[in-house]
Amino acid sequence: MIIVIPTKTSGEKSFISENFGRANYFYVYDTQKQIGETYINEHLDNPHGVGIKTAEFVLKHKADIIISPRIGEKSMELLRGNVKVFIPNDSIVKENIKDFLDGNLKELI
Amino acid sequence: MRIAVLSGKGGTGKTFISVNLAYVIKNAAYLDCDVEEPNGDLYFKGDKIVKQVDVDIPVIDHDACTLCGKCADFCRFNALAIIIDKVRVFSSLCHSCGGCKLVCPVSAITEVKKSIGTIKETEFEGHRVIGGEMNIKEETGVKIIDEIIEISKDILEDVVIDCPPGNGCSVMGSIKNADYCLLVAEPTIFGLHNLKMVYELTQVFEKKVGIVINKASQHKIINDFAESENIEVLLEVPFDKELGLINSNGEIAAKDMKYKHFFEKLADKLLVRKV
Repeated sequence: MIIVIPTKTSGEKSFISENFGRANYFYVYDTQKQIGETYINEHLDNPHGVGIKTAEFVLKHKADIIISPRIGEKSMELLRGNVKVFIPNDSIVKENIKDFLDGNLKELI
Repeated sequence: MRIAVLSGKGGTGKTFISVNLAYVIKNAAYLDCDVEEPNGDLYFKGDKIVKQVDVDIPVIDHDACTLCGKCADFCRFNALAIIIDKVRVFSSLCHSCGGCKLVCPVSAITEVKKSIGTIKETEFEGHRVIGGEMNIKEETGVKIIDEIIEISKDILEDVVIDCPPGNGCSVMGSIKNADYCLLVAEPTIFGLHNLKMVYELTQVFEKKVGIVINKASQHKIINDFAESENIEVLLEVPFDKELGLINSNGEIAAKDMKYKHFFEKLADKLLVRKV
């Protein structure tokens, strides 16, 4: 399973970004390999359509799960049916992945 | 003379200043380029001739498309995206540049027309009034503004252009053939901040500028800025409850002798610059 998390700084010790498309980085975690990788958000400075580009990024990585406090309408339209979104706790990335795997995070509707 | 009325911040008084300024200049045309929220017709009432505005939107031939991604990479407005096995078009973000069609190596992109809004025209006491209105859910009204400006090219009288707020594409489209930019600002920190943004834009376009302070008070931050940048303050409209009331009732304040002189003074100062 692949999890994508929008983050404020890079790596598993980062806090989660309040924004999805306008996050500074994305942390992509493979639960089977137990490996995470950080990607810089290349579209951060675009004035429009960052949500679309981020959805494209998520689907390119064949992600199953997003952990993000919110997500825009256009991203959701593209991701619906392919990816589930979960609400993070207020801790760092690593803790959120653990909480998700333990079934402690709630799905964002 | 073509006078564009701008402000960085919304609600500063662009429409208030433009409507009244156009009203006191004999036969001046009034263009409402704030197509996202046009208000000029609340003052210049009358029957309108309505015209549709269309744009070209890309359509993908999914059988021909090889998913190479060149179109999505090219689009700087992110109106195209490769979603799993299909190129998706977000027509509301499209600026109709036609670039995706040009870069497609297999000619899988054609264009269709889509209505994004309307242009309404009316005559009000000798003033030609042209205004645009963007359809709900659209994200850019630049094409509507371009058409208003195009129509107005034949106007020989003075023209007052009521611009959208901010300093984005739609403002650039509104001021492109203006001779003079009138910057409306209110004396607040937020007002000053956004005045600076829009002033910067007018300098990029090398426009002549002047400032109108609306809702003027004892706070002189706009005057200080104008002085430091050597910009003339053409008019200060005081913060006046009665004036606010007249305006919010959809009445033209310049019809009232008490307020007419403000706008006549402004018009005199501006039109002198023509010679």
